[in-house]
Amino acid sequence: MAPQRRLSSTAPDPAGQPLLRVQDLSVSYGGHQVVDRVSFDLPRGHSLALIGESGSGKSTIARSVLRLLPAGVGRATGTVELQGQDVLALPERHFRPLRGRTIGFVPQDPSSSLNPVRTIGSQAREASALLRDDAGRELDGAAQRRAVVDVLARVGLDDPERVLASYPHQLSGGMLQRVLIGLAVLPQPALIVADEPTSALDVTIQKRILDLLTDLRDSLDISMLLITHDLAIAAERADSVVVLKDGTVQESGPTSRVSTEPTSAYAQRLHDDVPALNPDRYADLRAVGEARRADPASAPKIEVRGVTKTFAVHGSELTAVDDLSFSVPAGTTHAIVGESGSGKTTTIRLLLGLETPDAGEIVVAGERVDGRSHAELRSVRRHLQFVYQNPFTSLDPTWKVERLVREPLDRFKVGDKAARRDAVREALDAVGLDHALLSRRPDALSGGQRQRVAIARALVLRPDVIVLDEPTSALDVSVQADIVQVLLRLQAELGLTYVFVSHDLALVRQLAHTVSVVRRGRVVEDGTVERIFDAPREDYTRTLLASIPDAGTARRPVLAERAS
Amino acid sequence: MTTITTEPAGASSPGSGGGGWKPSALRRRGSRRRAPYGVLLSCAVLLLVLAWSLAPGLFTRQDPAHGVPADAFQGPSTAHWFGTDHLGRDEFSRVVHGSASSVTSALVAVAIGVLVGGLIGLLAGFLGGWVDVTLARVVDVLLAIPSFLLAVVVVSALGFETINAAIATGVSAVAVFARVMRSEVLKTRRAVFVEASLLLGGSRWHVLVRHVLPNASRSVLNLAVLQFGLSILVIAGLAFLGYGDPPPASDWGLLVSSGKDYPLAPWLVYAPALVTIATVLSANRISRWLRNAD
Amino acid sequence: MGATRQLPRRTSRPYLTYAVQRVVQAVVVVLLAYCFTFLVISVLPGDPVTATLRNPQNNFTEEEVQRIVAYYGLDRPVWVQLWEALSRFVQGDLGVSLRSNLPVSQLIGDVLGSTVVLAVTALVVALVLAFAIAYGTRNAPAPVAKALRAFPSLFLSVPNFVIGLLLINVFAFQLGLFQVIDSEGPAATFFAAVALGIPVSAQVAEVLIANLDHEARQDYAGFATSRGLSRSRLFWRHLLKPSSLPVVTVIALTVGELLGGALITETIFGRTGIGSLVQRSVTTQDLPVLQAVVVLAAVVFVVVNLVVDLVYPLLDPRVDLRGAARAPRTPTEQPLETTQGASA
Repeated sequence: MAPQRRLSSTAPDPAGQPLLRVQDLSVSYGGHQVVDRVSFDLPRGHSLALIGESGSGKSTIARSVLRLLPAGVGRATGTVELQGQDVLALPERHFRPLRGRTIGFVPQDPSSSLNPVRTIGSQAREASALLRDDAGRELDGAAQRRAVVDVLARVGLDDPERVLASYPHQLSGGMLQRVLIGLAVLPQPALIVADEPTSALDVTIQKRILDLLTDLRDSLDISMLLITHDLAIAAERADSVVVLKDGTVQESGPTSRVSTEPTSAYAQRLHDDVPALNPDRYADLRAVGEARRADPASAPKIEVRGVTKTFAVHGSELTAVDDLSFSVPAGTTHAIVGESGSGKTTTIRLLLGLETPDAGEIVVAGERVDGRSHAELRSVRRHLQFVYQNPFTSLDPTWKVERLVREPLDRFKVGDKAARRDAVREALDAVGLDHALLSRRPDALSGGQRQRVAIARALVLRPDVIVLDEPTSALDVSVQADIVQVLLRLQAELGLTYVFVSHDLALVRQLAHTVSVVRRGRVVEDGTVERIFDAPREDYTRTLLASIPDAGTARRPVLAERAS
Repeated sequence: MTTITTEPAGASSPGSGGGGWKPSALRRRGSRRRAPYGVLLSCAVLLLVLAWSLAPGLFTRQDPAHGVPADAFQGPSTAHWFGTDHLGRDEFSRVVHGSASSVTSALVAVAIGVLVGGLIGLLAGFLGGWVDVTLARVVDVLLAIPSFLLAVVVVSALGFETINAAIATGVSAVAVFARVMRSEVLKTRRAVFVEASLLLGGSRWHVLVRHVLPNASRSVLNLAVLQFGLSILVIAGLAFLGYGDPPPASDWGLLVSSGKDYPLAPWLVYAPALVTIATVLSANRISRWLRNAD
Repeated sequence: MGATRQLPRRTSRPYLTYAVQRVVQAVVVVLLAYCFTFLVISVLPGDPVTATLRNPQNNFTEEEVQRIVAYYGLDRPVWVQLWEALSRFVQGDLGVSLRSNLPVSQLIGDVLGSTVVLAVTALVVALVLAFAIAYGTRNAPAPVAKALRAFPSLFLSVPNFVIGLLLINVFAFQLGLFQVIDSEGPAATFFAAVALGIPVSAQVAEVLIANLDHEARQDYAGFATSRGLSRSRLFWRHLLKPSSLPVVTVIALTVGELLGGALITETIFGRTGIGSLVQRSVTTQDLPVLQAVVVLAAVVFVVVNLVVDLVYPLLDPRVDLRGAARAPRTPTEQPLETTQGASA
């Protein structure tokens, strides 16, 4: 397997010292310790992943290496040695030449990392100005432009000239990230720091970008410091791994060991929480729903038949959903999987009656949903609730938690005041939140807590169906695991039916019973989760499955692994 | 004076060129910061001036309208904190009594702006359609006419009283509040939690009153404080030119205007000027703090 | 792989639609402004025009009164008066002064030059000052930068008449740099422009600084720094353009303030401009003149903002005109459906 390759890439640098050595790095912000005595080595030609959840300090460490901490606020102590030289102690004007030339940076969000009022070409010139010819002089304009065009072609952009003439908002996320990577590798730095370079991208694009990075690394012999929250990505792409929690190192070592046999409790938990690495974690809970699905006597709770919806956008027509159908047996979870632009969001909005389909029918619990007015849908909504993707915007910031969870009861006039109070408390118990949170406002809660409040709010009416739009994509992996468990438990106990939208197939495998894979508004493939995963029929489905990072197959396409 | 407030872009502390990134361990900290001392001081100043306007007699025993001619042109002393004017009147007392009309009229102007402008903005933002278009044109007109000129016209037609100047300033302020309220309502209407409330069984009325209004009002409140300061400046300017209560009234602007004729008694200009500046500065400080605390 | 999204050209059709809409809106607003001022004066209690005419102190002969009444149609219903006044207005007739019997447009024309010179100089001073302050907040050493940040708020808190008096006191009386008597001379004009421009510079500086802060916090600023850009290069090449474009719209909004502030500044500095005309007309209760000045100010405001609205989308590539009839503003400001569009 991979180990032989890894060993050779960790052969010690001829000069005997690692490219990057971090020792006892500590960073504090106004008295708050964000990074606490972190140490690791990065040998030349090596890739190291810093893994942690939000608040672990991983991004802070990366920015400390680049000395990009917000001025005057962050104080970093310790040593950061780059090629033997302590860079933390350097004055800014001595360090600045290293940025871009010796250390490159690939940021997280490509759409906001380029100046929106200037063309790509004019910004690329800043990167090409760092190039030097053999005599050490700056290249002339034509040579710079050639270099830029070359590197853009190298990162897979079809029409570099056109890209250079465009403004950032005219390119897609994937294309922009390629541009950023191109600009970062153009000066041929020794080290690239990549801060979650793919988390803002679609899942199939993610794989291509990561492949590109690996490819560039190998051909240009660039070392990589990869920051990620995704253990599976680290397991697939990095040679060694440092696991961080609250600014301290929990565990570090070669990826092959850490990802399969972690020694620290935290790393173990992190490993267990990653859906891609533990597909059958909740098999028991899921089995209850599976039994319901398999039961031939159970009637479908939701039926969507031949639904089509087009939008008029800027004078042209966009078909968001095209002849889409699926049905969901009661008490089971149906997942809708697709990337951006697949129409999955439009589908659930149609399901909820927030949009009206141009054609087709939608039936929920025996009642028609399509084409009915807001007032008519009230009775349906009593039993059909929704959990939004973003817990930071779906709760009114001026309301307290108690009132937020009680709102559906108030609006539907369920029970008297005392009964409502009790129902609210029951709902909080169901999602595992403490009653002390009732008097708080959303901004005092974490993302995971807010999402649980949103789920509690959806539960309090005791609906039959809950629709969830990527409810955990904005949350840490451990929080996600908790919420998945809550959802499955409630389904097992109360017989809830879920429609679950996601781009994360690994998560779908843990949670859902049936799946519809959608692309550009059409259903590409559907069926039970087992069948889709074991025997996918369509190429697109296979591509999606291949994009799931898999720890055991570092640097080899998953497709070859699955000898079908 | 038109108000040009900026879109709240967060804390105005100077950042490096390093972008707006902050470690996520810190991002979750609640925004409940204690008010800095500058803000507390500003609140104290405003409360003091407000107290002056409501109960001037508590702060000074001396008569603002009549003085002892023999005591004319005395500099600041323990007997006369701000000195005396050309008629021997105690300047401090005149300033304190002048705050009644200066401050109260500013409050009237802001009240008109908030209530009328807020209502217009609310209707325009929530109802949309032709209501929005019509109201937008009305607001445009109010915005196009300089508030100072409008006040001059209204005062010369209605009569030279500070309250008329206040009404005119308020009418101009309607435009500013209408626009802010409208844009806030539009922003909130599109908010996810508003749609969520509709799905939870909320009626449009419930959503408007319980969700949209509380969220949209936060910006308006901040603007009201700012506009209060600006109204004081406008009304002082009008009083300076004589478009306010006539003497022996002691509007701050009027005090500066009469004081400037006596260059040998500079305290007659500095005292009311500094009080005006302090008041408006305090209002601006509070407004900025409110904006950054969002 | 990596399919290129269709790169849209800046087609002329959305722009044309938008331009026509803006012009129509501007015309509507000007007409409404005229009606508004007319009605404000007519419906005010006490019928000021008639009161002025009948006031024995004003010494109008009966014959004059009759002529004026006939000209303005004061004996006819308000709506008829308005219609006739409006028709006169669109033909360029601003009415006749009650006092001097001269056409109002002539009276205004006589004094307009001085005010325009003052206002334009004030605007230039304001822009230079605002830019200098904003530049300093980003590029000066830290204690200076911090102090500069307090300037706009400070300037906005000082009444413009105080600034004017202070300037006269220091620069004319104590330093003798200009003579108040020679109010139209270049030195006096300069200082008057400073007095008028300081509040405007404060507002522009505030917006400029806020925009610079906002842009500096964007990811692209961090990314540019990571590629080795120095602070100064970052300022000139990356922060300046996106920050200053929205300022153009703000400047358009300050036009009204320049005109209003000119009133006070001209009085203090003894200049004969629109301000002194207004003062005279107020004393003599010459309402047609006042009305005309107000309408003129509104027209100038509308025209300036219209020009800015038409030119701005051509300068800022972030603006998307295709979104219905919205006034296009940069992402940091709210889109509004008005002629003078920036957020308040």
